[in-house]
Amino acid sequence: MIKRGDDMSDELAMDSGALIFATLADVYLSSGMVDEAISILKDGLSRNPTYTLAKLMLGRAYYMKGDIKEAVKILEGIYDDAGGSENTNLYLGHCYKKLGEVDKAIKYYELTCKINPENKEAKQGLEVLKPKSVKVEKVKIEKSPEPVKIEEIKVEKMPEPIMVEKVKVEKAPEPVKIEEAKVEKMPEPAKIEMEKVEEPLEFEIPLEPLRKPVNRLLSIKAVKGAFICSKDGLLIENYYKDRTDIEEICAMIAAIHNEVEESFKYLNEGCVDKFTIEKEDETVCVITAGASLFTVVTQSGTNPGLVFVYARKIIDEIMGVLG
Amino acid sequence: MKVDEITKIPKVLGAGLATDDGFIIESKFIVGYDPEKFSSMAAQIMKRIKKCLNIEKTSAIFYASNSVFFVKNTEEGIFFVICKKDANIGLVKINIDRKT
Repeated sequence: MIKRGDDMSDELAMDSGALIFATLADVYLSSGMVDEAISILKDGLSRNPTYTLAKLMLGRAYYMKGDIKEAVKILEGIYDDAGGSENTNLYLGHCYKKLGEVDKAIKYYELTCKINPENKEAKQGLEVLKPKSVKVEKVKIEKSPEPVKIEEIKVEKMPEPIMVEKVKVEKAPEPVKIEEAKVEKMPEPAKIEMEKVEEPLEFEIPLEPLRKPVNRLLSIKAVKGAFICSKDGLLIENYYKDRTDIEEICAMIAAIHNEVEESFKYLNEGCVDKFTIEKEDETVCVITAGASLFTVVTQSGTNPGLVFVYARKIIDEIMGVLG
Repeated sequence: MKVDEITKIPKVLGAGLATDDGFIIESKFIVGYDPEKFSSMAAQIMKRIKKCLNIEKTSAIFYASNSVFFVKNTEEGIFFVICKKDANIGLVKINIDRKT
């Protein structure tokens, strides 16, 4: 902020012809009594209109009051006479800074610094304003469409090498025609590539061979659906799309299977091959297939023998795929 | 009565009626088979099925390597039958359904 005490006192002291109203106005400004200072200065200037120092003080007073435009008007008005004054430049810098006219503010702060390189307010003003001006320039550079255009041009130029490749491809058949033996050999690597492409498909649909026999099983009217789960209750493949709780059923079926398996082992009756559970509304047929359980849900009253016959082929497939 | 008739079917090793907690009410087994073991197994399996499938009345057939085990929930208790693997399972099942 502006020093209110001694800013003008030096100039007043130096001005041998200083008038008393100016000295009094400086005291008022130093005390923060801006309106009183303006009143005295206006009154004194009406009688001494050429008194530049009083005008400078009036400009400062308006600046302190917040009437920046009036301050600028007064200070610019005396600039021809008091352009070499440190305070004139300093307050013009302050005013333009407040008005957001950065370039002008910097200009006056720099002039202030030229007059008095140790003026702290001018230095602080420059420190504050100059980085901003640099940032503004950077933003302008970033926003400038030129580099974008250059990139676009590069992108547009990209297809050119592709075109060249295409041309090469079009030219390729010529040597192929010359060396017919090589052309005959060409399809072989292509077949190898096809085989390589098929490999991941096998991993994606490992139970594909089951689809046909399962569909045959599902085509039986009484069969509601089927699913394959592991013995630890995790769903492997679901062919029972109507049910949303298949994963829960898988866990339950596995729990029953494991319970019975343990009991049978305890009684030396061997392992569980298959089992059927009859409910009021449906029958659940479970067949073990290695580490998996193939479960078929049918309507109640369905002959389980029919299900087991159809399921046998599926079990063989499951054993082949899942082990 | 029920148990006697079932065990007359060829290759049926034994049959019994047990409480929900596995105690034998009635049983008939060939020599060498412990009815208490099978009754407890029947009760345990039935308990598991009820719990997992959330059903009260049910029947199940378990095919093991050496034998086939029938278990059915009846009003009188848990009815169970064990027979050899090569027994006429259909016949046994029909008899169980009739008698219970």
